[in-house]
Amino acid sequence: MAFDFDGMLGKIKARQWALADIDWDAPGAELIEPELHAKLKPFMADLMWIENVGARGFAAMAKKAPTETLREIYRYFHAEEQRHANAELALMRRWGMLDGDTIPEPNINVKLVIDFLDKHSDEMSLSFLGTVIPMLEVALDGALIKFVTDEIADPVAQEVFKKINADESRHLATDYAVMELLGHATTRKLFIDLVGGWAKPSFLVGVLSYVPLLNKMRDNIVEMGVDEEKLYSAMRRFKAVGERAPIANRVPMYRIVKMHSGWVINRGHPYHLFADAMVKVTARIPDRFLGAQPTWSKELTYEPVA
Amino acid sequence: MTTSTLPLDVAIIGAGFAGIGAAIRLRQKGIGNFAIFERDDRVGGTWRDNTYPGAACDIPSRLYSYSFAPNPDWSQTYSGSSEILGYIESMVDESGIRPRIRFGHTVTGLVFDEEQGLWHIGFAGRRRKVKARTVVLASGPLATPGMPNIPGLDTYEGHTIHSARWDHDYDFTGKKVAVVGTGASAVQIIPELVRDAASVKVFQRTPGWVLPRVNRRTSGLAKQVYRRAPVTQSLARDAWFWGHESVALGVVWNSPLTRVVESVALLHLRSQVRDPWLRRQLTPDFRAGCKRLLISNDYYPALQRDNCKLITWPIVEIAPQGIRTAEGIEHRFDCLVFATGFEVAKQGTPIPVTGRDGRVLADEWHRGAYAYKSIAVSGYPNLFLTFGPNSGPGHNSALVYMEAQIEYLTDAIGLLLDRDLRMLEVRRDRQDRYNTRLQRRLTATTWNSGCRSWYLTEDGFNATMYPGFGTQYTRELARVNPADYVLTPRDPAAGVGVDDRMTASLG
Repeated sequence: MAFDFDGMLGKIKARQWALADIDWDAPGAELIEPELHAKLKPFMADLMWIENVGARGFAAMAKKAPTETLREIYRYFHAEEQRHANAELALMRRWGMLDGDTIPEPNINVKLVIDFLDKHSDEMSLSFLGTVIPMLEVALDGALIKFVTDEIADPVAQEVFKKINADESRHLATDYAVMELLGHATTRKLFIDLVGGWAKPSFLVGVLSYVPLLNKMRDNIVEMGVDEEKLYSAMRRFKAVGERAPIANRVPMYRIVKMHSGWVINRGHPYHLFADAMVKVTARIPDRFLGAQPTWSKELTYEPVA
Repeated sequence: MTTSTLPLDVAIIGAGFAGIGAAIRLRQKGIGNFAIFERDDRVGGTWRDNTYPGAACDIPSRLYSYSFAPNPDWSQTYSGSSEILGYIESMVDESGIRPRIRFGHTVTGLVFDEEQGLWHIGFAGRRRKVKARTVVLASGPLATPGMPNIPGLDTYEGHTIHSARWDHDYDFTGKKVAVVGTGASAVQIIPELVRDAASVKVFQRTPGWVLPRVNRRTSGLAKQVYRRAPVTQSLARDAWFWGHESVALGVVWNSPLTRVVESVALLHLRSQVRDPWLRRQLTPDFRAGCKRLLISNDYYPALQRDNCKLITWPIVEIAPQGIRTAEGIEHRFDCLVFATGFEVAKQGTPIPVTGRDGRVLADEWHRGAYAYKSIAVSGYPNLFLTFGPNSGPGHNSALVYMEAQIEYLTDAIGLLLDRDLRMLEVRRDRQDRYNTRLQRRLTATTWNSGCRSWYLTEDGFNATMYPGFGTQYTRELARVNPADYVLTPRDPAAGVGVDDRMTASLG
């Protein structure tokens, strides 16, 4: 049965929530032990920035969507990812992880992705955006949020992540439906999309930003004492899409992303020699080589009311 | 309910631009037994209602005025609402039609009496009805303020103002203000609000194409020349007219010239907005002309003032103290300004109209309004619309179109009175043929190129715009062809009854 995009849009509109719905001063913040607190701080900052990056990805999708309904869905997803980032920032504030009112700086790998998305995401085709963004969502968002809900006892965090998870499940359902939709394109269009997309030097820059971001996140997870298997099992879900809806396998970019995710979760794969090296190299890139932080990445706030 | 005994020859509903213009031309054509029914206590229609700060017309005043009532005194190229209102007032006084205006008369319904060939007009709070042989429905498409369909609209506890009903007593100094809407009124209001308000948040759903505007003061010398040699005024008007007509090639039709219009607007955006993300938020994703083009030099700078912020997140709901958007934040403020336009009559009618055999116009129009040449509707004899279905220009002065309608309908009324007709009713087949052709022509226009706008119904039916040049429309309306109508004489003694109507070929 074809996916009901109108029904999904209706559901999205009906399930909106706001930061003001949450009692940020409710008891439970003290349940974060000092040791966890120290590790959680950079982790939450990364998580928040990845949500912000996802938001920008959906903004680009809204420009590419073939129907008004899907455009509207992506406009909401763009805002919802921003809401997740805002809520995560509010949790950091609740846990005393912010230095005064200052929003933490993104790490170098996130900065690279922000820079890439700012400059090039609007030029990317729907088949590229529509396969890479779900992968990022599955791999990073899914795994990281799962970790937080498993490890953190604070009931406010549980409430927040329950809401975020509910949003994400709608994002993924739509992402998969769009991959199926893309699979229905003619072979000629799929081929042109693939060649046209890869032929751009900007895209290669994007790949070189994306590769270390994934490995860096894996490093962060391991550093926190979490089994990296959590990340891998989430990434396996991406592979399962093609098994569930074989039409998605027609999209070459889906196959490429899937193949890449297979490398990522195979620690013995020589790919990691390259990816780990990239993490080291990118860590040394001086700030001055990156462009000014775009205004869209400066709009995060932990205040429920503005 | 009682009905007065002496019927009017013409009842005009609405004392806005169209109603006043129709009255003046009727009088000039020797038809004096008319009255204008106006719900308010002043003339002016849209221009009386829209007095928000910065309210001005997007069409040069020389062209946004009647050719039969020239005004040499326009102070600048694009006049503000108060000057336009002054022009309407002066037309009323100079033409001597003021005594014919019945203020405080809100029409509640029109019912056609086929036996007598009379319209019965009911009014709110008045038992007495008025009879008229013909009715000019000049109630205007931009008469009723439109409110957005946002959940929780009624729960907001702060101050609210609609652009079409401005609250001049409200002091914005130091206030936190939200503006919902970014259309033609908003781009005029926002630059004014940012001057006084502590903060202005502008909630945008879709950005419009904004073109620059060159507004010059008219020198005293130019005014003298216009006054002493009226031909110069006509020439200036013609120049503006043809300038706007040429724009139709890019604005009305989806053509390569549409790209030229878009390029001008993009250059304007690029020159005024430096931040790439803000520029992206302000770049439309539909063809120029699809929605009403915006004209402003002040809008983009106003948005970039420190106390102003453009919000493009989807609005979730209105809460008691502000607006909640989908990024999870509740934006709070003291005053909520709705610059959300009007309830445009694309479907239904502003007042109930019952025609021959008890048919109701709103029912017939529920899928989208239609008429013959935007003026007459089959089944509703002796009724004439101004700014009826499919008469809107996207590129030229509404007054040019309105003037053509007024000429046409006053001629039709003259025909009815001269021949002492009981009914003058447009033939259904002519009306259908006209509309089939019109809708076919609309498919190539920018309005039907895929965006959602107030020009279209929910189903995407365009009941609002005219798909052509102003010259085409004016030519179509240049002459009333009796062959388009069924003419029914009034006098039964002539041997023609209700069901035995003369066809137009006899006319």
